[in-house]
Amino acid sequence: MVGITASRNGWIVWLTFAVGLLLSVSPLPQFMEILRPLWLALLLAFWALALPQKVGMVTAWCLGLAEDVLYGTLLGQNALILTLITYLVLALQQRLRMFPMWQQSLVILVIFGLAQLVQLWLSALTGNRQPTLALVLPALVSALLWPWVSYGLRGLRRRYRIN
Amino acid sequence: MRLLVLVVLSVALMVFDARFTLLKPVRSQMSLVLMQSYWITDLPQRLWQGVASQFGSRTELVAENEKLKTENLLLQGRMQKLAALTEQNVRLRELLNSSALVNEKVEVAELIGMDPNPFTHRIIINKGERDGVVLGQPVLDARGLMGQVVELMPYTSRVLLLTDTTHSIPVQVNRNGLRAIASGTGNPERLELRHVADTADIKEGDLLVSSGLGQRFPAGYPVATVREVIHDSGQPFAIVRAVPTAALNRSRYLLLVFTDSRTAEERANDAAQAQEALDQHGGGPIIPATVPRPAAVIPAAVAAPAAPVAPVTAPAAATTPAKPVAAKPAAAKPPAAKPPTAQPAAVRPAVKPPVSAPATPGGRE
Repeated sequence: MVGITASRNGWIVWLTFAVGLLLSVSPLPQFMEILRPLWLALLLAFWALALPQKVGMVTAWCLGLAEDVLYGTLLGQNALILTLITYLVLALQQRLRMFPMWQQSLVILVIFGLAQLVQLWLSALTGNRQPTLALVLPALVSALLWPWVSYGLRGLRRRYRIN
Repeated sequence: MRLLVLVVLSVALMVFDARFTLLKPVRSQMSLVLMQSYWITDLPQRLWQGVASQFGSRTELVAENEKLKTENLLLQGRMQKLAALTEQNVRLRELLNSSALVNEKVEVAELIGMDPNPFTHRIIINKGERDGVVLGQPVLDARGLMGQVVELMPYTSRVLLLTDTTHSIPVQVNRNGLRAIASGTGNPERLELRHVADTADIKEGDLLVSSGLGQRFPAGYPVATVREVIHDSGQPFAIVRAVPTAALNRSRYLLLVFTDSRTAEERANDAAQAQEALDQHGGGPIIPATVPRPAAVIPAAVAAPAAPVAPVTAPAAATTPAKPVAAKPAAAKPPAAKPPTAQPAAVRPAVKPPVSAPATPGGRE
């Protein structure tokens, strides 16, 4: 399967990442701010599962840098987080593909939760520590969103035969 | 393996970014492209505003116009008093040989985005390095101080709000000059005064203004009003909570403060000239009603020294009362000034010079 067909419609992958960047800064009502899902991480997880030969840790790292610039955090902070997430997803790739959707969500929850803990640790180092418990909420929301994102992107991929 | 390389790379980047300024240009170049996404996500809001203003009903617009006119009138009325008070302040400070008040210029900026991280209070505004914004520049809204610029990008900048947990500002109680430091709490409606003695004279409703001691914020801008003062005998200090006067999470239009470097005298003259130009271009017809009062009082004291200066700025109307000597013409002045030009707009230029000009001769006497 890999390498037989040349990469096709790859720009759509980048388009989804661009939309992900927009979503990650889009204004939300105050109470929903702490629930903002990790859009980029979700997209990266999906594409890393679907097109591992195309989207990998380097992509994640570059997107993370972009997110750092958008968020005004230290350059490399979100890059590190997203790289870690992609690494874990790629490491569990064989099993994740076999899992039913709810189990995938569970694994995503654990991976994103771990990433958020690293995030907490890093932001504590840079001086703005956050209330600990609320920090896991984005991971939870992302895990709940995973089935929808997954089905939606799969549909997109089938439709445009992205390779 | 690749993970290791990338992790090491990002850690190195973070350390480098935290310690040195070398990466700032890289960041600002990246932001040139990426900051557009804030602009794009703000687009629906802006479109909505555009549509709303296109289809706003006539009655609404008329009502709003009416309201704005009244407000404008009130503010202009207040401005007039302010000009006189500024003069007086400059003169008194000259007498005291104390340093002059620093006058500030402001520029309007627009909010284009909030920081997505809910635990930090930062906003993005649409003015950046290319617009002359500098690091640490204070930002106001119509009601008070909002925060300071913490990150510069070419066409945007990031502003740290007063209520962020990492922010503190030196303040003063407006009533008695008591100094304190107001720290952010992470709650957009609350500041806390740290280390205020239990016996300090501070009470509910006090206005806190910036004291200018940190040399970052200009002095005298309203910061917060004290909401509650708790005296707990178990605590070494009183707990003082205050509410920021600025609408930190509601304002869309902000003011960037530029401090200017002119001397007090230049500033006073410039201000007077600007005011005069403004007056000549036309103010409301009602304003003159408030003006004649200071006009009747001040010329009585300074009509004589004003004589050499008045012709420079004032039209013929001003010279007529100045030529006759002594204090008597001052009382006769308003009627004397009116006959030459009947419209009220011409009365004000006659009034202004005595207010502004005597500052110099008066000081030298």
